[in-house]
Amino acid sequence: MTSLRARLGLSLMLSLVATIGLLLLIAGVSVHRVMENQMATRLAHDGDTLLGGLTFHAGGHVALDARRIQGIYLQPFSGHYFLIDVDGQLIRSRSLWDESLSLPEVAVGEVSIRHVSGPERQPLLLWSSSFRKQGRLVKVAVAEDLYGLQAGVRRLWWQLLGWSLLMVAVVLLIQRFIIARSLRPVADAVDDVVRLEQGEASALREDVPQEVLPLVQEINRLLHRQQQRLLRSREAMGNMAHAIKTPLTLLQQLAAEKVRAGDKTTYEQLAHYIRKINELVDTSLRRARIAGDSLGSSRFDLRQDLPVLVDTIRRLHRDKGIDFEQQLQRVDTLPLEQQDGMELLGNLLDNAWKWADSRVRLSVDGDAGPLLVIEDDGPGVDEEGLQQLARRGVRHDENTHGHGIGLSIVKSLVEALGGCIEFGRSPGLGGLRVKVYCRCPEASNGVSQ
Amino acid sequence: MRLLLAEDDQELGTRLKRFLDRQGFAVDLFDNGVDASFYGSETPYDVIVLDLGLPRRSGLDVLDDWRRGGIKTPVLILTARDTWQEKVQGLQKGADDYLTKPFHEEELLARLLALIRRNTQTVGEHLSANGWVLDEETQSVSNAGQSWSLTGIEFRLLRYFMLHPGHILSKSRLTEHVYEQDADKDSNVIEVYVNRLRQKLGNDVITTRRGQGYVFGDGH
Repeated sequence: MTSLRARLGLSLMLSLVATIGLLLLIAGVSVHRVMENQMATRLAHDGDTLLGGLTFHAGGHVALDARRIQGIYLQPFSGHYFLIDVDGQLIRSRSLWDESLSLPEVAVGEVSIRHVSGPERQPLLLWSSSFRKQGRLVKVAVAEDLYGLQAGVRRLWWQLLGWSLLMVAVVLLIQRFIIARSLRPVADAVDDVVRLEQGEASALREDVPQEVLPLVQEINRLLHRQQQRLLRSREAMGNMAHAIKTPLTLLQQLAAEKVRAGDKTTYEQLAHYIRKINELVDTSLRRARIAGDSLGSSRFDLRQDLPVLVDTIRRLHRDKGIDFEQQLQRVDTLPLEQQDGMELLGNLLDNAWKWADSRVRLSVDGDAGPLLVIEDDGPGVDEEGLQQLARRGVRHDENTHGHGIGLSIVKSLVEALGGCIEFGRSPGLGGLRVKVYCRCPEASNGVSQ
Repeated sequence: MRLLLAEDDQELGTRLKRFLDRQGFAVDLFDNGVDASFYGSETPYDVIVLDLGLPRRSGLDVLDDWRRGGIKTPVLILTARDTWQEKVQGLQKGADDYLTKPFHEEELLARLLALIRRNTQTVGEHLSANGWVLDEETQSVSNAGQSWSLTGIEFRLLRYFMLHPGHILSKSRLTEHVYEQDADKDSNVIEVYVNRLRQKLGNDVITTRRGQGYVFGDGH
């Protein structure tokens, strides 16, 4: 997986380095060329001055007016040299000492500018030209050491490189900042997804950059559709329950009215089948209602949903004065969809209430270990019953209508959650203890004593 | 005991009405939420059986109407919807009990009687007042080892008296709680039944307060 930030940073750095490198190259070459041109012009002026200082004496002797010679040409190896050739007679600047300059062949009126190696291997720019003065062929060559110029250009180039690197660094920093700023909405969207997973949000916020908006909108659309589907399916399940159970009630009451008195055995059988149909319908409908791990749905809130649930259970068992203890360890919500949580805790607490003598305890822990522990001080369940509970979620001695379904739906819910359920005896209260795990503990066979 | 029964399934409604009538309730049956909401607010019912899946106005909304309107009559929700979410909603809206279909008529009756007793703050398995014990199953009353069986109206009337011992009950109030909506309500008939009860159980069982009504037991 590549990081957008790293990719943008790298591409910007590469393009900056390429651009600045090219600019530095062009700048170096251009500056060098301009300065060389200036030097050549100066050399041409000096050449003209020297030419003007030549006097021809009778007998072919040539003299150079010493006043025309600048001091720099007199100092040995000063880097400034000239050489004049009049029909083979050479006049050399004193700076050349015993050395000489190679005079290229240049036609009269032509100018030649070239790099040559001079005394002490000095790199020289050599300007030379040929003239005809008073009927005689005069060749003039003037040279200057390029070392100073080249060093100056190199210094300039290094300075430019230094500034450029600094600029690249600054630009990269600015870009980093801009990218971080521009990507913040994306980071927010990622945070939203986390909140979505934790059930704290039902949709992603849509104040994101245009480029990401279609993605966010699509996710929201999907979430909405999923929530609607869950809502519709739950509604349909409710209607179906209504449609099936009213005739089932009638059937049961008809049996009670018409058959019970005359044929008790047939009545018992009928009642058994009616109960079986009802349990099957209940179990299937309740399973179909489980939202499971659905994104965007609100979670069971222990601060809001638990008190009303406990209040409801209290009202349903008004004749039982149960002392209810709850221990909630740093947990606000259960990792369960709200209605799933209602169903899970509703059934577990209702079951505990039904069997408890006087005390029911609920412990919720967000850390390792079981998520929920529900204990009562009722008669508890023997080993055989625990096995049966673990297998089917049915309490072995319950034959009252509706009691069997409660714990079996709890099993389905926990399975949908991907967790485990464990039945045992409460060491503190003495009755049944039910532990619900989000992640199954190792080597759990579902039952513990 | 006036009982409002809101149930949209005609067959189940009729059957329940017949059953509850036999148990000494004066039952008014409504098959939709709008009528149930209106009559429940207008008539002093003693107990209400409410289905949630009512046409025109849902049972939860009807319950909300009543509770917002200050109607405190105990309500038992009788429904096929049996998720905890729905139970929580129903009870938080102000229902007093919740029974899911399919159910046994006996269970419904037991829950209704428990609701009524809770509401009138009477305790014990059988309704008793001033030494009189009413057996709802056999519709008879006993005192000091002697037992008298009662007719339907006598039973209804005596039960209402025994649920409100020491209270002055006017003829019209007794009529309202003993007869259903469509019955021919003649308050003079109450006088006849009070006299029948006096003949059976003794003159001092019910005393007359001139211009006010009747009192079961000693009014002081």
